[in-house]
Amino acid sequence: MRLFLAGCLRGLDGITQGLNVLGSVLILLLMVLVGVDVAGRNLMGAPVAGVPELVTLSIVAIVFLQIPQALRSGRLTRSDALPLWLARTRPALGRWLETLFDLISMAVVWVIVATTWPIFTRAWERGEFIGAMGDFTAPTWPVKLTILVGGTMLTLQFAARILRRWLDLAGTKEVA
Amino acid sequence: MTPFDIGLIALAAMFVTVLAGLFVPVALMLCSFLGVWAIKGSPVLASKLMALAANDSISSYFFGVVPLFVLMGFIVAEAGLGRDAFDVANAMFRRLRGGLGVGTVGANAIFAAITGISIASAAVFTKIAVPQMIRHGYAPRFAVGVVAGSSVLGMMIPPSLLLILYGILTEQSIGDLFIAGIGPGLLLAVFFAAGIVLMAIFTPGFVGRPEGAPEALPPRALLAKGLPIAALITLVLGGIYGGLFTPVEAGAVGAIGALLIGVALRRLTWAGLWRVLVDTGLVTATVCFLIIAAQMYSRMLALSGVPAGLGAWAAGADLGFWGLMILYVLIVIALGMILDSSSIMLILVPLMLPVVVPMGVDLVWFGIVTVLAVEIGLLTPPFGISVYVIKATLDDPAITLAEIFKGAAPFALIMLVVLALIIVFPVIAIGLVPGR
Repeated sequence: MRLFLAGCLRGLDGITQGLNVLGSVLILLLMVLVGVDVAGRNLMGAPVAGVPELVTLSIVAIVFLQIPQALRSGRLTRSDALPLWLARTRPALGRWLETLFDLISMAVVWVIVATTWPIFTRAWERGEFIGAMGDFTAPTWPVKLTILVGGTMLTLQFAARILRRWLDLAGTKEVA
Repeated sequence: MTPFDIGLIALAAMFVTVLAGLFVPVALMLCSFLGVWAIKGSPVLASKLMALAANDSISSYFFGVVPLFVLMGFIVAEAGLGRDAFDVANAMFRRLRGGLGVGTVGANAIFAAITGISIASAAVFTKIAVPQMIRHGYAPRFAVGVVAGSSVLGMMIPPSLLLILYGILTEQSIGDLFIAGIGPGLLLAVFFAAGIVLMAIFTPGFVGRPEGAPEALPPRALLAKGLPIAALITLVLGGIYGGLFTPVEAGAVGAIGALLIGVALRRLTWAGLWRVLVDTGLVTATVCFLIIAAQMYSRMLALSGVPAGLGAWAAGADLGFWGLMILYVLIVIALGMILDSSSIMLILVPLMLPVVVPMGVDLVWFGIVTVLAVEIGLLTPPFGISVYVIKATLDDPAITLAEIFKGAAPFALIMLVVLALIIVFPVIAIGLVPGR
């Protein structure tokens, strides 16, 4: 059972890292896109169609693709004075408090994911797009999808924190 | 319970949960969700508000540049331009008492003109300047203090991510904000430098016993080091004010420029570039996720009427302009002790706008005051992000967090003095801005 769970956690980390890579590639594309737009406008007098729209869409995707990895690598903003103090003086209490925090985080993020689902299906079914017809259009559903995927992975990473915390207690070596 | 009461409770709950150690974005989201639920009596409506904020609030061209500015800062650091700036500044100040310290400040001021985030400066100069200063006899505590203090120049001297964020929040021209940052940034650098020289003369116990100036650079080497940086500064700032591109696009152009320079100087490796890209992604995600949460929270607050009520209270309480500014700065600095700079700005600015706008306060000037006050928090314990970055980069158990905070304390004081000067003499900030 424990081995199975450890395998699951490894798989979760793998997917999280994959999303992270995807987001990093998007940032690189964003840079090139804006650069080409600026160059095209100034050198050839012709801006690239759709750059503002693509930037607008991709920033949301970038954030939700990378936020699970941000949590995994301990980058998510928090004030850790009290948790650190508790871990030192009252480790058991500290663990329960951290677990409570992770549960709250899971619930909050899940509310967002669940409420984004109808937004996604509507965008998909109606073929919602951004931009102006005849000039440049891009569908919005892929971005909604990244919110769903990223939010789900974020929820799972919060769950993984709980598992790691208590599995560690039981003496597994499978903890990063 | 009136919506106003609920808003106040949500505000208090946010502070308590953040202090207790709940992730800041989660705390903001939780309080907004429960707050809207209590105000509107409908959990469905509350969750809709959250989902809408997640989908829309950062979906704009302006936020698209956050990763590009972060990327630019990190590429510039990876391309070794920080070390070049350090060498150039040292060549200029090598004869001064405490010259290496002054050189670090100068290098930070130069570096700040090609990067927009303090943490990039803090990380770069911890690696470059601290070992050099310790080798030349400076006390380790003072060496890290200088780096921590001068890293805040990164946020003041344009381009600056915090000023962009403020500009988006308050719908002020980012170009104007950038210009307004130049005066206070330079003033801060001069005060830091003067402070270092004075400390070197009067408190040698704190500074250490600097001996032996670094070697002089031959003019050709100086030129070789200075030219790439000068080119990048000209590209970014010249492009913005020459009308070639917007401040928003400057991040992308600057990142491409730094990339080209790094490749031309053969200083960028694929592995280094990839690491920088991943780091950029994580910083972007953290900052933007926080922005999303702060948007939910400010929408909830707007529903509760707390900001408007606060404005009415401030107008009625007869605090006057000075009382209000002092109170505001105190709150910002206090928050700076527990939160990072973007969180503070995202939480406080929407709350303060309805208060200061009726007083006829210049919002560009107010932005500079806010950013500087927020940056003081970067140096104050227990949560000083610059200090944490230095500690993490330093990787030397002999220098504790407390030591770094002590070393940074004089610089936090100097910042407070400069902040007071800017509040009393707004012309320092907005004197250069056209049309003010």
